[in-house]
This record gives sequence, C-alpha cells and structure tokens, in this order.
Amino acid sequence: MLLKSCSLAPTLVWHHIGNTVRQAIFIILLSMALGVTVNLIRPDSIHFVETWSMADKLVTEDGDTLAIPLEDAAALFADNAVVFLDARSPVEFDQGHIQGAINLPWHDVDNYFETVIMTLDPEAMYITYCDGETCSLSHDLAMLLKDLGFTRIKVLVNGWTLWKEHDLPVTTPSS
Amino acid sequence: MLQKKLSHDVTFTIGYHFTRLIMAGVFIYASIDKLIHPDLFAEVVYNYQVLPGYLVNLTALILPWLELTLGICLLINRWMAGASALAAMLMALFVGMTIFNLARGLDISCGCFSTAPDEDPITVLTLARDILFLIFSLGLAGLVFIKNTRQRFYGNS
Repeated sequence: MLLKSCSLAPTLVWHHIGNTVRQAIFIILLSMALGVTVNLIRPDSIHFVETWSMADKLVTEDGDTLAIPLEDAAALFADNAVVFLDARSPVEFDQGHIQGAINLPWHDVDNYFETVIMTLDPEAMYITYCDGETCSLSHDLAMLLKDLGFTRIKVLVNGWTLWKEHDLPVTTPSS
Repeated sequence: MLQKKLSHDVTFTIGYHFTRLIMAGVFIYASIDKLIHPDLFAEVVYNYQVLPGYLVNLTALILPWLELTLGICLLINRWMAGASALAAMLMALFVGMTIFNLARGLDISCGCFSTAPDEDPITVLTLARDILFLIFSLGLAGLVFIKNTRQRFYGNS
C-alpha cells in the first residue's frame, strides 16, 4: 500500500494540476463568451474598448470641455482673472497649493458650503484642480458648482503636479 | 481506528461543503450588481488605476461573469478543481489590489459587492474581509485537491 502511494503520488498530483488547468481555462472561456454575448444583445451595452481618460470625462453632452490647458490657466492666473479651487484634503492643501487658491475639499464639501461656496461670486471665473491624471475630485467639484449656477468653471486636470512641474507660483509651508 | 477515520471524513466533508457554499454565495452575490450595471462597474475598475484604459471595459464585462460562473460551479459542486483554484487566484488578486490602493491612499469605492460610487469604500475592514475569503478559497482548493487525489487513489486500488 505504502509502495503504491509513493509511486502514484506524482501521477495523482500531475493529474490534479492538469484537471485544474483544463477546467480553469474552460471557465474563463465560458465567462468571456457570456460577457461578450450578453453585452452584444443587452440594450444598455457598453463599448468593448473605450478610451478612459479624465479629459474625456470632462466633455459635456453638448461637446464642450471643462478641461483647460495649463497655458491658458497660467495666463488667467497671470492676469489675476481667475480663482483656483483646490479640491484636495486640507492636509494636502497645507502641504502646498497654487498661490492664492481656496481649499474646497470635495470629500467634505457640505461643511464648506456656508464658509466658502456662499462667499463665491457665481459670475467669476474658477478653475478647480486636484492631483493625478485620474483624480476626479476637481471634476466632481466643478459639476457641483455648475449645478449651483456657477457658469464659468474649468478643470485643470492633474493641476497640482502640472503647476509645480512648470515652476508656476505656489504656496508651501516654507514659502 | 475505523471510528477515527469516519470522524475525519465527517469533518472533511463538512469543511468542504461549508467553504464551497460560502464561497459560492460570495461570488454569486458579488457578481449581481456588476452584471446589472456594467457602466458603473467600468468606472470602479477605472478608479483602481491599475489597468490600461483599453482593458477597463473588457474587464468590467468579463469579470462579473467569471464570478458568476465560478459561483455556480462551486454551488453545484462541478469543475471544482478549476473553480476553487480560480476562486483562490481571484481572491489573491483582490487582496493585492486592496493593499495596493490602501497603501497609495486612494479614496475609492471597493466595488466588491456594489457598484454605487459612495458605497463600500476601501478600508482595513475590506482588507480583513478579503483575506478571510482568501483563506476560505485556499482551504477549499486544498480540500478539493485532497478529495480528488483520494478518489483517484482509491479508484486505482
């Protein structure tokens, strides 16, 4: 019995591995077929391949884009014609922000309603920003302000990183 | 001797079916909301920021079906070798993603059981839950291995 166990063990293990791989491949192929087929026939299907970028998300239904290029944002800043709204957390804001920016953290926006949002002029020009190509805080904040009646809102995608990289004026704890 | 073997077998059988049914429930439940809202699940996948853009929608379309198929296999006790191994691999992947995003400090929704953006944020509790399911999945894969090799061994004797 023991001898038989020793001689059979590798065969049994390999047989199990073979079975596992075959079944796993079959399950994966079945899932892929189901996923593709159901998406083809369902009314609310999505594209199989889509470009996912923050800039694309910022295009409104009428084709306008909320995104503003860095050069334009910097020009407005130089003309003192814009207020920057920093959608990141107060901790990140305190570690450094665009000079003159107002902190309006998206995750705590309700608590900033009276102290910040109510004090803003709905006719003025605002640019929201956060950090990272895929950061959506600035986009969410811009959409909220648009819903509240602010008409001149733009989003500087990856704003904090871009602003620093181009040596534009910032406020940091050391400055 | 025979009694000891029988009690071993009972424990083994209970453990096997318990973990199998738990993981079947987890995977089937996890797939439902994602299957209903592929567009919202695609956003969840995108927010994880680990896949190139062109793979986001494909993942959002196929992963829920993989979870459902796995869950059904586990529920009806078929293709258990493949299903339990895939379940363990998926759970290991989810644990890895959770750790990665916790470490990066990304404030995103887990998307584990719901595609709603405001629900189910990633926390240490999410990680603990996923690790528990990973342990269950690994345990199940081990039990399936023992069961299959045993059956084959005694079938050959």
